[in-house]
Amino acid sequence: MATQTDKVYVLPGDEIDSALIPSHPKHPLRLGPGLRHVPPSDLFPTTAGQLVTDRRKNLIWVESNGGRYIPAVGDLVIGTIHHGAADFFYVTLSDYTSNATLPQLAFEMASKKNRPQLHSGNLVYARVSLANRHMDPELECVSPSTGKAEGLGPLSEGMLYSISLGMARRLLMRKSAEEGKVVVLDELGAAGLAFETAVGRNGKMWVNSKDIKTVLVVGRAVTETDEKSLTVEQQKKLVRRLIKEMA
Amino acid sequence: MPREAEPSQNEKDFILKAVREGHRLDGRALDEFRQLDLKFGDQYGVADVTLGKTRIIAKVTAEVTVPYTDRPFDGIFTITTELSPMASPAFEVNRPTETEVLLSRLLEKTVRRSNALDTESLCLVAGQKCWSIRVDLHVLSHDGNLIDASCLAVVAALRHFRKPDTSMEGDTLTVYTPAEREPVPLSWLHSPFCITFSFFGSISVGEDGEEKDIWLLDTTLLEEQLRVSSCTISMNKHGEICQVAKPGGAPVEAVTVVQCSSLALQKVKDLSDFVDQKLAEDSKHRNKGGLLAELSAENAR
Amino acid sequence: MPLDTSTYNLALLRVDGRRWNELRQQKGQLGVQPSADGSAYLEMGNTKIQCIISGPNERDLSKSTSSASTAPTSNGAGATVAVSIMIAPFATVDRKRRGRNDKRLQEMQTTIASGLAATVQGQSYGPRSTIHISLNVLSQDGSLLACLINAASLALVDAGVPMTDYLVACTAGSTSSYAAADEEADPLLDLNTQEEQELPFLTLATLGATDKVVAMVCESRVQLTRLEGMMATAADGCKGVRDFLDGVVRDKGELMVQEGAIGRGEVVSSMDLD
Repeated sequence: MATQTDKVYVLPGDEIDSALIPSHPKHPLRLGPGLRHVPPSDLFPTTAGQLVTDRRKNLIWVESNGGRYIPAVGDLVIGTIHHGAADFFYVTLSDYTSNATLPQLAFEMASKKNRPQLHSGNLVYARVSLANRHMDPELECVSPSTGKAEGLGPLSEGMLYSISLGMARRLLMRKSAEEGKVVVLDELGAAGLAFETAVGRNGKMWVNSKDIKTVLVVGRAVTETDEKSLTVEQQKKLVRRLIKEMA
Repeated sequence: MPREAEPSQNEKDFILKAVREGHRLDGRALDEFRQLDLKFGDQYGVADVTLGKTRIIAKVTAEVTVPYTDRPFDGIFTITTELSPMASPAFEVNRPTETEVLLSRLLEKTVRRSNALDTESLCLVAGQKCWSIRVDLHVLSHDGNLIDASCLAVVAALRHFRKPDTSMEGDTLTVYTPAEREPVPLSWLHSPFCITFSFFGSISVGEDGEEKDIWLLDTTLLEEQLRVSSCTISMNKHGEICQVAKPGGAPVEAVTVVQCSSLALQKVKDLSDFVDQKLAEDSKHRNKGGLLAELSAENAR
Repeated sequence: MPLDTSTYNLALLRVDGRRWNELRQQKGQLGVQPSADGSAYLEMGNTKIQCIISGPNERDLSKSTSSASTAPTSNGAGATVAVSIMIAPFATVDRKRRGRNDKRLQEMQTTIASGLAATVQGQSYGPRSTIHISLNVLSQDGSLLACLINAASLALVDAGVPMTDYLVACTAGSTSSYAAADEEADPLLDLNTQEEQELPFLTLATLGATDKVVAMVCESRVQLTRLEGMMATAADGCKGVRDFLDGVVRDKGELMVQEGAIGRGEVVSSMDLD
């Protein structure tokens, strides 16, 4: 992941300083979202945002807080079942986009005779298995290599919150506290609240707890952090305030 | 064509459960409004209302036209609403949705039919010339409770508006520019406001299992998608109902409607005070060092 | 001041000779249009409505662009109710044509559609079916919305659509104008055109004999204190209308038994529900 001290921001069409582009003796350079390669050797940003590079893995991409989710292979997403057909569930990932397909057999232990019973309106936590620009994306709720769910599958009860795509990415970072600067969830957990969450890269967060008030507090904490782009200190203050209000 | 995603079953169940226990997603009380803000433009007759994430702009314009033949002594007063794709992709241009039709009918009934604006005062020469006042309502962002916010915007814009002064000498009608004569406000009779109650079924309270309807005020878009029915009550601060509309939906007890109407009166008084205060602030701001300030200084001496 | 109230105070009789709590003369008939799936004809005073029901049939997407207003039943899991109103050009004193996109009509359609959706048990048909209700106004003399709702209810019974109860509606007015705050004002039941033009009034639709309000429309300026009285009067009127509609349905049932259209045993089991 990115390990840069001073951040570089780019606008679409900007020229990228060649010193910033990582070069690695073995790995080929891999472009992430927001960049376009113009042959033979030009590299242009297509979105405005922060330029992030990983010299060790030879990666470069633009981190932006865009409004619309574009599926990419490997993304974890939370979708709503729109309707079911013979072999597929049609899943809505975001408003005004065509549905993604989720094969009925792409669940742990699913077989022709034993498939999950999902109805329209149910939530699923899934991984994008196929994403092409001109095709509807495809999802899976099972790891194709191990055959295990690995946490994916239907989400029952709880509440779904909409968050910005940038926030979703920050929450999904391996060390969300240090790299993503999100400490609300850790703080809430440290304050003694018991809850579970699932974050979808399509800008959705699912929160569940036995106590309704806990769900509400977690939801408010995260959405407020997102909307007001709070700093770590402000997040801690917010959590203290919410916990106080709750008691 | 892909449409707006409907709220999932989890959201429906959770919100309903929370509302039954008296909680809302944003931590408001059940009868609490979101942060309300009202700004006036540089021009007269522009009101910009923000209610939470809902934002609405109303603009008033006036022109001199010929009155309708069947109403020679009345001016013309129209309210047009536009829900453009800017507010939500669900709206299309030139294809009024049901929301838009109901909204424009409600505003029509609340403001126009209740005679909030004295249309007779808009008549210049009977049967020949009159003012045509037009309110254009633009919804910039839609996060629920369009009706209450729109009504507030329309009323505030009309009360803020100044039309050019006119005079009649013999047969000649003169319309003065703002430089020649200070524009004059419209002849405004009362300020109606809409309060929308959203119903979410009923819970039994007490030991005898008496059913009590649950309702919310100032719903967000998500809450609006989940409500079972709604009731909009328009009233002015004198306790005169201008319009009541409960367009179908799940039934509620008659007692609840009566309770709602008396609660609406309180809320209308709050809104009325809010608009009065904002208008006063604006006129104070406008007259800073202006003509009226000079005049009042002279009078004080 | 209004001629209605001025004469009313003298004898406590209204322009058409009714007392304050009297409904107008009503006539109802089921199955007036044999080719339809369900039909009814209803008169309330001089307001005359014919209602034709077609369906439930599979949703026709080409029809979704027509001027009908729709409302889904049982939270979208059931059939959709589509309502369209046509006012005959000869229905009023002055003959005029109305455009298809009259917002007032559209609002009434929406009110009727979502009102009926509250009582129709649409889940027995599935979400892809539609019940088309077309209402023809043959003559118009006040309480239009209320009559339309009652006629639609009656026709739905004829069509055999399952409902929890009749959706019945009635208007109520108040003899005081909005400016006068006199406490002596009487509520009036079931207004005709002349009274509607002079007095503040509301239309109330309730679910059968209960006091549950399904729809309520008030378009005139009236004191808040009047509301309760008007609503109570209208609710009483709704009960009267329900009894009347029930009578029409039972008479029709008896007639069918006499004619041998259905066997006696079937009738006993299906008509003794309450």
